[in-house]
Amino acid sequence: MFSELFLPVLMVIFMLVVGGYAVAVLDRLVASALGVPQAGGIWLAPMARGAWLLTQHANATEAPDWRAWRLAPALYLALAAGGLAVVPWSASLVATDLVTSVVLWGSVEALATVVIFLHGWSANSLLALIGGYRYVALGLSYILISMFVLIGVALPAESLQFTQVVASQEGLWNVIRQPLGLPLFLIVGLGMTFWGPLNLADSTDLAGGTASEISGPPRLVWDMARAAMLVAFSGVAATAFLGGWLGPWLPGPLWISLKMLAVLSVLLLLGRLLPRLAPERCVTLMWVVLLPLSFIDLVWAGIGALL
Amino acid sequence: MAVSWLHKFAARGRVPVFPVLGKQGDGVLRHLALSPRIELVDSPRHASVLLVAGEVPADRCEPLRRVHDQLPYPFTTLWFRSEPWPHLERVARIDDLDDLPGALVTAHRELMEGRRGSAHRLLPDEPPNPWEGEGDFGQGGEGMMGGVPYGRPMAMNMEDDIRDGLTLDSLTFRLGPFFFAFPPGMAAEITLQGDLVQTWKTQLAPYPQPLDEVFFDARQRPVPIAEVELARARHHLHQLFHALHLAGLENVSLRTLRLAHGLSTSSTLDGLRRALSRRGFFRLTAGGGVLGPEQARMIGGPAARAAGLDDDLRAEDAGYRRLGFSPVCQTAGDTHARWRQLLDEIDQSLHLARLAERDRVHTERTGSVETPRGPWSARRPADASALFDELLPGLEWGDALATVASLDVAGLADQPVGTRPSGESRAVRGGTGNDV
Repeated sequence: MFSELFLPVLMVIFMLVVGGYAVAVLDRLVASALGVPQAGGIWLAPMARGAWLLTQHANATEAPDWRAWRLAPALYLALAAGGLAVVPWSASLVATDLVTSVVLWGSVEALATVVIFLHGWSANSLLALIGGYRYVALGLSYILISMFVLIGVALPAESLQFTQVVASQEGLWNVIRQPLGLPLFLIVGLGMTFWGPLNLADSTDLAGGTASEISGPPRLVWDMARAAMLVAFSGVAATAFLGGWLGPWLPGPLWISLKMLAVLSVLLLLGRLLPRLAPERCVTLMWVVLLPLSFIDLVWAGIGALL
Repeated sequence: MAVSWLHKFAARGRVPVFPVLGKQGDGVLRHLALSPRIELVDSPRHASVLLVAGEVPADRCEPLRRVHDQLPYPFTTLWFRSEPWPHLERVARIDDLDDLPGALVTAHRELMEGRRGSAHRLLPDEPPNPWEGEGDFGQGGEGMMGGVPYGRPMAMNMEDDIRDGLTLDSLTFRLGPFFFAFPPGMAAEITLQGDLVQTWKTQLAPYPQPLDEVFFDARQRPVPIAEVELARARHHLHQLFHALHLAGLENVSLRTLRLAHGLSTSSTLDGLRRALSRRGFFRLTAGGGVLGPEQARMIGGPAARAAGLDDDLRAEDAGYRRLGFSPVCQTAGDTHARWRQLLDEIDQSLHLARLAERDRVHTERTGSVETPRGPWSARRPADASALFDELLPGLEWGDALATVASLDVAGLADQPVGTRPSGESRAVRGGTGNDV
């Protein structure tokens, strides 16, 4: 009973909290290294910010869709939790080892589009709505790429189960076997988590976009959910391309944690180094360049699986 | 106990400040941006302190009240070089720029620790327009369509799409005069379809912008060219700082600001230019906003030269000619060309400043001067914000804002930087406003 019900829930909650905190600290470290001033201790700053948001009131806008507005951050956090639940920490330590866990991750990506649009739309406010519109335009583009890339890693495993995908990388990690896969998937990750250059939904030109009208605890939940989604994505990327828990000397959970940290660092660094792409360029890039590349990746993976 | 601990902890973080810019208030932004304890935020919902910087003209007071009421509880306000409204309780006024970061930190800390009460709402909590809804869903029209339920039309497909035939509902709204991405003081009524600008009508022109005193002096008497060119480069770097923040390049924007603060004849632009180029600022970011020849002439200055017009009053000054000056130009006339132009002009200004300092060269022509905003001969460069009305329709939102950031459209103020606008009351250092 404990191992089937409570342990998975505890694992996911632990990852939501620790992962969210790790993202906040790492992002501040990256910012500090790049010359953005940081006050006080980098380790305490995320908690001070969380405390401030807890003391701040949740504001109202003129006639919002209250239920949807309040639910959207929680739903996004739940989606991140769903993603984290299918990341295997070792051959036996998985919150939920579904035989269709790759498909479940695909549904998380698709539902994220719905939840983010809901967040922007339900505020009944202009800049938030534009953020929602933009995300839908972008979401359609990246989901297709993600689908092809993930089918690519499922082919050598002959399974849609992440534990099998890891097991199939025993001899050679997918990052080498399918060289186009990880770079494409990282771009998908920036899009899906609307981070850095692909942050079109909560961007500076929209004064925070879908989050431009929220304050207090809902904003804290939204920020945590965004951080948790980055962690979940890093977990899936490490599982699908970097051999998951595989590695010499160290225990499996430590290996995947290190790999997730590496992916997170790359995403956060890209987020701080690159400017935000213009939406039209972004969609053109996705459809004209990256989607054909994902076809090639899939064909490459298919030929590799046949040989 | 737990609550008290939480509040004390909250007081330790960076202070989220939403700046409302009055006349000559934008210098405050650049000062605070480099302060590690202050976080300038773009939305009033994300702030703990509302900072009113500079004198807010009477026609912007109503929007200021609305912005004031958008800050979530608990919040407080602080007025910088501006007299707080008499009916506000316990509102501090600060006049010394160096005291400002400390005052903001103190205000936030006192607020969090309960030693200072939250500000109160100024307006009644009711819709700005009366409810005029009718029908099953209160939409005010027939069926699911039409109506003006709160005095504003429903988002409806009333205009043809001007881009690709994908017709979305039109959404009309007013933005400004305190929207961070607009020139200070500017407000516009905009209609969007999706994120495509359908119509743009500038309703309030930006405040006239003050320039460095050296440009005023140059009209009266010969001044060292090194001084003029450093002031010009600094002005352009400030414009670039705002644009880079808008583009999401926070670290490079702060680097630009640091360069502007420490600018001297030994400064170089190479590192900044390389960073912008490597990070794709000229290729990846929002662009558009091509100026035609007439429009370029109307704005003048670097924007005109970015569109291929080589007008520059410096070419008529013997002092500049001795330094080998000739105008640099681009041809494309779009947003990216304007950024390239600005970087080229900063480079050129630094080069001229170095030569002029070495040879002690002064300007020789008085009565006119090429300001960073454009030529100032008989008349000061005037406000050109009405140009946005024809330039921005057809652009996506990101492109439109990038275009706004790349164009220096505000007219020139009649007094240099640091001069108090006429009619402003005497400074009361650290004083407080009156009680209700």
